[in-house]
Formats: sequence, structure tokens, C-alpha cells
Amino acid sequence: MMLSEISESTEISQRSGPGIFGCPVDLAVLAGYESVQLEGEPDLVIELIDLYLDEVPRRVQAMRDAVKFRNPAALASAAHSLRGSSGSLGAQQVAQICAEIEGLESVDLWSSIPPLLSWLELECQRALHIFLEERRSRLR
Amino acid sequence: MKILIAEDDPVSSRILRTTLEKWGHKVVSTDNGVDALAELQKEDAPRLAILDWMMPGIEGTEVCRRIRQQSKTAQTYVILLTALSQKTQMVAGLEAGADDYVTKPFDRQELRVRLQAGERIVQLQSSLVQRVKELEVAIGERQEAEKALRNLTLTDDLTGLYNRRGFFTMVEHTLATSRRSGESSLLFYADMDGLKLINDTFGHSEGSAAIKTTAEILGRTFRNSDIVSRIGGDEFAILAQNASAKESAIILDRLKENLRTANAEGAQPYQLSLSVGTVLVEPRDRLSLDDLICKADEAMYAAKRSKKPWTNSTDSRRAPNGTAHRASTRP
Repeated sequence: MMLSEISESTEISQRSGPGIFGCPVDLAVLAGYESVQLEGEPDLVIELIDLYLDEVPRRVQAMRDAVKFRNPAALASAAHSLRGSSGSLGAQQVAQICAEIEGLESVDLWSSIPPLLSWLELECQRALHIFLEERRSRLR
Repeated sequence: MKILIAEDDPVSSRILRTTLEKWGHKVVSTDNGVDALAELQKEDAPRLAILDWMMPGIEGTEVCRRIRQQSKTAQTYVILLTALSQKTQMVAGLEAGADDYVTKPFDRQELRVRLQAGERIVQLQSSLVQRVKELEVAIGERQEAEKALRNLTLTDDLTGLYNRRGFFTMVEHTLATSRRSGESSLLFYADMDGLKLINDTFGHSEGSAAIKTTAEILGRTFRNSDIVSRIGGDEFAILAQNASAKESAIILDRLKENLRTANAEGAQPYQLSLSVGTVLVEPRDRLSLDDLICKADEAMYAAKRSKKPWTNSTDSRRAPNGTAHRASTRP
């Protein structure tokens, strides 16, 4: 994942609400899934983290490709999907940036998107770090 | 119950699937609208579907529309699952045919109660469909029973005389007895003259009244022990038991007189008239009842064709009460 254009992302974070230094993942959301853990089945939380670890790079890459090929529908679709999975796992800041990308008007889309994408990558990295930690602790 | 999930996001799909299974549901999972539609077409398809709004290929709202258009899937209860939360979008989803919606990330308690509401609807629909099926079967059985009863009944609804089945049943038995006791019988075959004209001129209810009056005249003419029947639309067959050829003329005169009296009373705006063929059934005759009726029928037609007033012998006929009079009955 690229970490370019961090300076712009700082600016955007001030504009759009969530600070980049806030907690990237609400672990209580993850813990909530323990209540639906099926007996005899693999750990659901670990399974969800693994799915998310696969999902994030795929969706971010799809957004990068959409920007490269100037495809707003593909950009919105990838942002929408990542927003859904991030929201479901408590990665609220990632979800919020995705919502912002999804809601961009076409008139300023291509000028606004590069700093937003960079900020998204940074937040994704922070979130994935937390998820990996959580995964390790659950495997201990 | 069996629930279909159509959700392209693997994280959301896994959460939803596990949650539903935890609640005891059986889950069928797809990640696109095309497969969702195919699943709903299958035998024993899920009756409740949770569809993601935005999916590759066909979106959830379009899946809804197609579900509602197809009779096999139209009763499926659909919950739209979406990260969209604006009111106008929710309205669009419901207009597309969704029964309910849940926003992502979903609140488990909310999803649970919405599913319970959906289950209640599905169960009510199932009970209703089952009840309709039971009623259809019951109606079918009732119709079969009524048909069987009609086939079994021996009397004619309109006149109260024996019907064809009743006549054959009674006469077969009576002729066998007469043969054993060496008694002859008379078989009369009578056909109303001009019933079509009565129907065309005065309507079918008046035609039915004419048939009833004719039946009453025949009932008065013959003895209680004789078997009087209406075996077709305007055709009557009568078996006079223990009767000789000589008595044929007496009976026909009595019939003629009864018709004359009925016509003279003028209760109906037309003249009742019959063409009659008669067959003497001797004890030694071995003709079947069908053959005997056939002979009487031929005699009746001979009488009808002869255009003569009543004749004696084996067949007799009385012409309608004059062409001029018939013509005057026309509206």
C-alpha cells in the first residue's frame, strides 16, 4: 500500500471530521461477534479479520485502477464495498473516508480523489495493524 | 427457516450468515443478483431473501422487481440490506418490491425483529396457500361426489318423473317379471311437438314449463303402477304393465283427452301436442330394452312424419293445433 501524499491527508482530516490519530478500530464491535460464534466452528472474529485483510488491498487497488482509467462507477462501487465491510468490523475511519469518496460529485472527483485515497491507505494501514494485533492475541 | 443471502461483500456476508445460523436458520448464500434469482427459482427455494442493494451484475432493487414479476417467486419476502440510509433510497427500494430494509452495519436486535416480522408474513402466506389448496381439493371432491350422485339418481329434476337411468333400471326389472308371469306390456315413446318453437318464441323457461305440464298430463294419463319417464329433452318413455294391444287405443284416447283439456284451459299461450309411437311387448319377445325403445322411437317418427291426426294401431300422432294458431304465438 502506498503512503504518498500524507501532508494532504492531514489537511483533509481536519476538514472532514475524524482525526487521523483517533483509534482506527472500535474493538467492541469485533467483540460483539463473539455472541454469534457457532459452537465447534472456527473463531468467527479471526475469520472476519482474515476476510478483511484480503478485502482491503483488493478494494484499494480497485479504487486506484478506477482513478487511473477515469471510471467513476467502479470507484464508487469499490468505495461502497469497503465502506460496508469496514463499518461492519468497527473500522469507522476507513468507512467514513470511503463514504466521502462514494459521495464525491463528478465535477471535482478527479481533483479531490488523490489526497483522499492516500488518506484512506494510511487509515487502512492503521486499521490493519490493529486487526493483526487482535488476531495474534486471539491465537495465543 | 431457509433464508437466501445475496451479498457481494465477504465480510458482511460472513457476519450475516453466522448470525442467521446462530438463530437457527438455514442459509443459502450467493454473492450476486443473477445467482440469487436462480436460487429463488429452485424447488424448495427460500421464502425469505436478504439482498444487498449494490451488487455486481444485477442490483438488489432490480432483483426485487424481477422477483415480483415472476409468479414462482412473487411471494418471496425480501429485506434489502444496504449501506445507503437516505430516505429517498429506502422509498425506491420499497417501490421496487422490497418488503423491508436494514441498513449496514446492521444492528442484530433490529435485524432479528424484522426477520421475525418477515417470518410471520411468510407463515401466514404459507397457511393461506395451504388453506386454498385444501379448499380446492374439497371443492373438487364435492363436485365429484355431486357428479356421482347425479349419475346415481333415478329421477328427473325438472319433472319428478324417472330419468333415463331410472326408466332403464325400473323397466328391466319389470319386463323380467312380466316375462316370467306371461303378461304383455305396452311401451310408449312420446315426443313433444313444437318445443323448439315454444323455446324460440317464449324463452326456455316457458319451454321448461311446457315440459313440466306435459309430464303432469302423462302422469294423469297412466296408472300409478306404470313407469313414466322423461328420457331426453322433450322425449318421454312409458311402460304400461300388464296391458294388451287393445288397451293401447284406450290409453291414447285418454292422453288425447287430457291434452285437449289442458289446451282448452288455456293456461299456456300455445297448444301442447305429442307424437307417440307404441310397441307391444309380448312375454316371448327377447328384444332388449334398447331395441324396444328403438322400435317405439321409429313408430313415433313415422307418426310425426305422417302429418295425420291421431291414428290407432302401434303408433299414433296428433298434429299441432293448426299452423295458423302456432304462428299466432310468435311475438
